[in-house]
Amino acid sequence: MSSSLILRSALPKVLIKRSLFRSSIQVRQASSDPFAYVPGGPIYKGTVNDPTTFPPPSKTHGSYHWAFERLLSAALVPMTVTAFATSGTNYPLLDGILGLSLIIHSHIGFDSSLVDYLHQRKFPVFGPIAKWTLRAATVGTMVGVYQFNTNDIGLTELIAKVWTA
Amino acid sequence: MSVLSPAIRRLARASIADARAFTTSSSRLQAEPLQKPVMNKEFKIYRWNPDEPAKKPTLQSYTIDLNQTGPMVLDALIKIKNEIDPTLTFRRSCREGICGSCAMNINGQNTLACLCRIDRDTSKDSKIYPLPHMYIVKDLVPDLTQFYKQYKSIQPYLQNDNPPEKGEFLQSQEDRRKLDGLYECILCACCSTSCPSYWWNQDEYLGPATLMQAYRWIADSRDSNGAKRKEYLQNEMSMYRCHTIFNCARTCPKGLNPAAAIAKIKLELAAD
Amino acid sequence: MLSTRALGLTPSLRQAAFSSARNHALKNAIRSSIIVRRSVQTQSLKPEDGTTILNKQRLQRPSSPHFTIYQPQLTWIGSIFNRVTGVALSVLLYGFSLAYLVAPGSFDSTHVIEFVGGLPDAVKYAGKFILALPFTFHSFNGIRHLLWDSGKFLTVKGAYSSGYAVLGATALSTLYLMFQ
Repeated sequence: MSSSLILRSALPKVLIKRSLFRSSIQVRQASSDPFAYVPGGPIYKGTVNDPTTFPPPSKTHGSYHWAFERLLSAALVPMTVTAFATSGTNYPLLDGILGLSLIIHSHIGFDSSLVDYLHQRKFPVFGPIAKWTLRAATVGTMVGVYQFNTNDIGLTELIAKVWTA
Repeated sequence: MSVLSPAIRRLARASIADARAFTTSSSRLQAEPLQKPVMNKEFKIYRWNPDEPAKKPTLQSYTIDLNQTGPMVLDALIKIKNEIDPTLTFRRSCREGICGSCAMNINGQNTLACLCRIDRDTSKDSKIYPLPHMYIVKDLVPDLTQFYKQYKSIQPYLQNDNPPEKGEFLQSQEDRRKLDGLYECILCACCSTSCPSYWWNQDEYLGPATLMQAYRWIADSRDSNGAKRKEYLQNEMSMYRCHTIFNCARTCPKGLNPAAAIAKIKLELAAD
Repeated sequence: MLSTRALGLTPSLRQAAFSSARNHALKNAIRSSIIVRRSVQTQSLKPEDGTTILNKQRLQRPSSPHFTIYQPQLTWIGSIFNRVTGVALSVLLYGFSLAYLVAPGSFDSTHVIEFVGGLPDAVKYAGKFILALPFTFHSFNGIRHLLWDSGKFLTVKGAYSSGYAVLGATALSTLYLMFQ
C-alpha cells in the first residue's frame, strides 16, 4: 500500500535490465523505427509542446479502488484487535472474515507493487504473467484459507498456538 | 573629531579624496585587507559530456578555497566554472531561489544550489549530482521535457465560461487563502525527482509538482472546470501512484507541501 | 535583410532606399560581396530533421543515479520498509495457505504446532522477532497512513513525529510479543 521502491532494488539488477531490454526489443520490432516511443525511455510522444495525455477515466481504478482499500485497511484494525482478544474457534465467522480481508488486503498490496514495478506497458510479456499468477495465487489462497478454517482450527487459533508452542 | 570645525573636516576629506584619485601607492591610507586562512574543500561533481557519449558518467573532483567563495553551493559552482573548468555545465539564473533553474541533488538531497549553504566542514567532501532518475543533457543539466509536458497536461490556467458581467473575478479572502502554499511553486522539479514513484513511473505518473498545481486549480474558487480536472486523475497511474512517501514535502526548497495537496485531491475524489 | 542588419548596415541601406533606383546597383553589390566573403558552410535542413537530431541525442543520454545517491531519510526508507514488511507477511499467508491447499496432510495445525514446538528456544525467539517486527511495524505504519489519508499529520513535522512514534511503538510491541 505504501512505498515504491523495493522490488527494483531487491530484484537483481540484471534481471530488470534484461527484461527492460527485452521489452524494448519487442516494442522496437513492432515498429522497426529507431526513434519509436518506449514507455519510460528518453523519447517522448509528440513534440515538446504537446501535453502528455491521460488514460481513459475510470473510478473503479481510481477513487473507488482507493476508498475501498482504505475502508478495508481501517476495518482490519478492530478485526485484528478482536482476534487478539478472543479465540477463532468461538467466533468462526469473525475468523473467516478476517482471513478473507487479509487476503484481499494482500492482493491489493501485491497488485500495487506489480503496477509500480512490473507494469504491462514496460514488461509486455512478464507483466501479464505476473498479474495472472497473482490472481491465480489469490484464488488458491482463498480456497486454502477457507479449507483451513473449516477443516482445521482456523488462522487465529493456529497463530495463537504456534506462538506459545 | 567634534572639536574640529565642519570646514576643516571638509578640507581634510577633500585632501584624502585627492590623494586617492591621483596616487597609485595609496595603500598606507587604506585599511589592510584581512588575510583569511585558506580553507580548501573538495567538491565531487557528476560529469557527462554528450560529445563523448560512450564515456560513462563520472564524478570529477574540484578543490576550492571556501574563504574566497560565496556562501552558497551555486557560488562554488560558478567559481569552479570561472576559475578551474569552464566546461562544467549547469543551469542557473536568479541566484535567489525564485527561478528554479539550479535545482540539483546536493549531498543526497534535491534542492536549489543558490539556496543551499556550503557545509563549512572541510573534512567531508560535497557531492553534487543532477536531479535523480532523469535523462541527462550534460553534466548537471537534466532533460525536463516530460516534466513540462505533464505540467501542460493539467491545463494550468483559469477556466471559466461565465465571466462576471463587469470587472474581474472576485474571490473572498477565505477562498484566496486556500491558494497559499500552492501558488508559490516555481516548478524547479526538486520534489518530483525526489519521489520514488516518479522514478519508476514518470511516463504515466504526474509527480508531486504537477499534482500540486492540479490541486491549485481544483481549489481555486474562480475556476469552473474542477469536475473535468478531477476526472482526468481518475485512473490508476496519473495520481494514485502516490503512496504518501513524503520525500516531496521534505525536499521542497520553497517549503511547500505537495504531499498534503495530493492527499486533499484524493479526499475530494473519494467524496465525488 | 538579416545579414545586412547583423552587419549594422541597415541605416545606410534605408537611406539608399529613399534615394530610389539609382542606388539599387550599389545595394546589390554590397549584398553579393557579403555572400562571397562568407566562409562558413551551411546545410539546409527540413523542419522535421530537428526532431531526428534531437532524438539521436536523446537515445545517448544516461539516466542520472537515484536511490543509490539519495540521502536515506525516514520518509522513503520507512515507506520501503512498509512495503517490504507487507509483502513478506502476505507471502507467508499465501505460502502457508497454498501449501495447506496442496498438502493438507503435512501442513495441518497439529503438524505445524508440533514442528514449532520441537525447535530450540533460540530459534523460537528469533522466529518470533522476525514475525513480530514486520507485523507490528506494518500495522502501526498502516494506521499512520490511514491518518494521513483522512487529512491528519500532513506536514513534514507531522510525518516525522508520527514516524518516530511508529518506530517506538514497533520496538515496544515487538519486545512484548517476543516474550509472550
